[in-house]
Amino acid sequence: MNEVSGIDAQPQAHAPEQLRFTGTGGEYFRIWIVNLLLTLVTLGIYSAWAKVRRLQYFYRHTELAGSGFDFHGSAVRILIGRVVAFVMLLAYNYSVRLHSIFTLVIIVLLAAVMPWLLRNSFRFRLYNSSWRGTRFHFRGSVGGAYRVFLLNGFLTIITLYVMMPFAHQRLKAYQHDNTWFGQTRFSFHARAGQFYLVYLVLLGALALFGIILGVVGIGGALAAMFQAQQSGGHVDPNVIIRFLLIVYGSLLLVGVAVGPTFHALITNLIWNNTRLGEHRIECKMSPLPLIWIGVSNLVLVVITLGLFMPWAMVRLAKYQAQSMRLLPASDLQEFVAAEPEAIGAVGEEAAAVFDFDIAL
Amino acid sequence: MLRASYFDGRSTRVRVVDLSVAGGGLVIAGEDVDVRIPFAEIQVDERLGRAPRRLRLKDGTYCEVTDLDALDTLLSWAGHRDGLVDRMQRNLQFVLFAFVACVVLAIVTYKWGLPWAAAQGARRLPPVIGKTLSAQALKQLDGRILLSSKIPAERQRALNAQFHALRLPEGGTPDSPLLFRASPQLGPNAFTLPDGTIILLDDLVTSIDNDRQILAVLTHELGHAHGHHGLQLLLQTSAVGAFLTLYIGDISHLLAAAPAAVVQAKYSQDLEQQADDYGAALLRYNGLSPGLLADALKKLSDSHPHSASFGYLSSHPSTDERMRHLRALAKPH
Repeated sequence: MNEVSGIDAQPQAHAPEQLRFTGTGGEYFRIWIVNLLLTLVTLGIYSAWAKVRRLQYFYRHTELAGSGFDFHGSAVRILIGRVVAFVMLLAYNYSVRLHSIFTLVIIVLLAAVMPWLLRNSFRFRLYNSSWRGTRFHFRGSVGGAYRVFLLNGFLTIITLYVMMPFAHQRLKAYQHDNTWFGQTRFSFHARAGQFYLVYLVLLGALALFGIILGVVGIGGALAAMFQAQQSGGHVDPNVIIRFLLIVYGSLLLVGVAVGPTFHALITNLIWNNTRLGEHRIECKMSPLPLIWIGVSNLVLVVITLGLFMPWAMVRLAKYQAQSMRLLPASDLQEFVAAEPEAIGAVGEEAAAVFDFDIAL
Repeated sequence: MLRASYFDGRSTRVRVVDLSVAGGGLVIAGEDVDVRIPFAEIQVDERLGRAPRRLRLKDGTYCEVTDLDALDTLLSWAGHRDGLVDRMQRNLQFVLFAFVACVVLAIVTYKWGLPWAAAQGARRLPPVIGKTLSAQALKQLDGRILLSSKIPAERQRALNAQFHALRLPEGGTPDSPLLFRASPQLGPNAFTLPDGTIILLDDLVTSIDNDRQILAVLTHELGHAHGHHGLQLLLQTSAVGAFLTLYIGDISHLLAAAPAAVVQAKYSQDLEQQADDYGAALLRYNGLSPGLLADALKKLSDSHPHSASFGYLSSHPSTDERMRHLRALAKPH
């Protein structure tokens, strides 16, 4: 069968393009277990190469319009980045324990370099990502990084997190407005007000839940008291146990449900308001499948002592890809890669030494 | 002949091409493409699951092939040999071996490697670290889990004097400070902080109520201090915690659990045994019987029989076993 599957020679104009993840857990298990063994045997040094293989597996199995993505990062640079991150973490942990002037010096130093490092890591990650042979680029300024990380972080803290949705919106704008695919620029259109709305929905849900829990709590206490009066001061332990089960069960439910719900809402907001040139992106993540995947993954990873991890990662990747679509405004064959001179000028190849994952 | 997609590296245009082998090189032919290139100049991506594989040319262009089996045939004609890791990932036997090896390595590391490394580390760490950690742990525990002792001051002084009058086999007298505290939560207990400070709880003093037997318990604690067991355990739990946070994905507090670990952590059977042996040797060196420690243990387990029901959960050797061992040590050889 010598046919290139999935690639239409003449794609239908403007048909939505579904993102797909085609990997399987069983297949990824082989890569994962070999990665794990080599990482253990080399006392962690191989972990940088393992990361490259992991990213390549996930990128290459993520498919848009019949073509996969690719990751080109060099393991040596990831290793350097990890050593730097590890040293910084050690310095931080050690200095926090010491409680001296040294603590302050270290924290100020870390705060001063962190935005620059994060910007470089965005640059590294995007420059090393490609689709159909055309690379992504991140062109955010250093000043912008200090604004979104240091200044907005500081504002968030002194306003007791009232500014957090605003800071989040600015961070996403900094990331998405400065991302290019070849010569085509991404743009970000979500306003801070929309971020506030999502955060308010979350707060409202939590508050409502608190009220319900309070009512159940008071009701339970009243029932126990009533029963105690009837039975002459003796409280049935079963009532207390049932009551505790309800309270702890609900708390667990909140813990399990809030994170994925927020993730779904905010991810939808971010991607539905991101465009690539004239092309729009559609993201329809719903909380329930995310909660289900999250809970079942956690349970299975725990009972298999970690062995389920590859399947867990694949399940999540599948759902994430499946909820994203690109709505093309024109032919997807027309993207043009950046000129080699332009890449050299921003120093993307040379300077992008540090690779960290930021989970936002 | 093998169908592939050709990308020029300058745009996202997909060109359908056919790949074939001719005269030691690869022929790429299709829509506006006609390239002949020696195999030596082609870099072949490794196989990752069923992902399309790419044949990369030096000028940044590449061919993407989805028919992996046909590509393998073509590559074998070309004399291409896949990389070592690539072959490992595809070999089911090696994957099984890797699985077994990982499990064995994890068990060996957790059971022996980690304690060994932690013991080495604990011995080499500068004493200031143990001191800082202990001072902080004590500060956090005092007023919460630990309350001030109700033992009369003269009794405290007397026990302190007896304890510091012990002669150590390695010379000198104990330099571990001895502190008295009360703790309804922890019950009859004594424990050692990472810098060797020993904390004696009121319930232990009252339920044993025999100075020589209390002294025996303190020699056991000195064994923990002497072997740097506190720091060793702290390093061990920190390492496990760091690994778990990395694995689960959150990397925030490496040593956050330190104060809790000091009191809650259970020493392994091995460390308890070492401390018992050290205590027994110390008692005998001071003309006392190791049986005293066994008597103290007996009193503790008699006065709090309910705690024994958790015995199978903890890593402690059973009290009976420890008493038997100590009584055997007490017999004159």
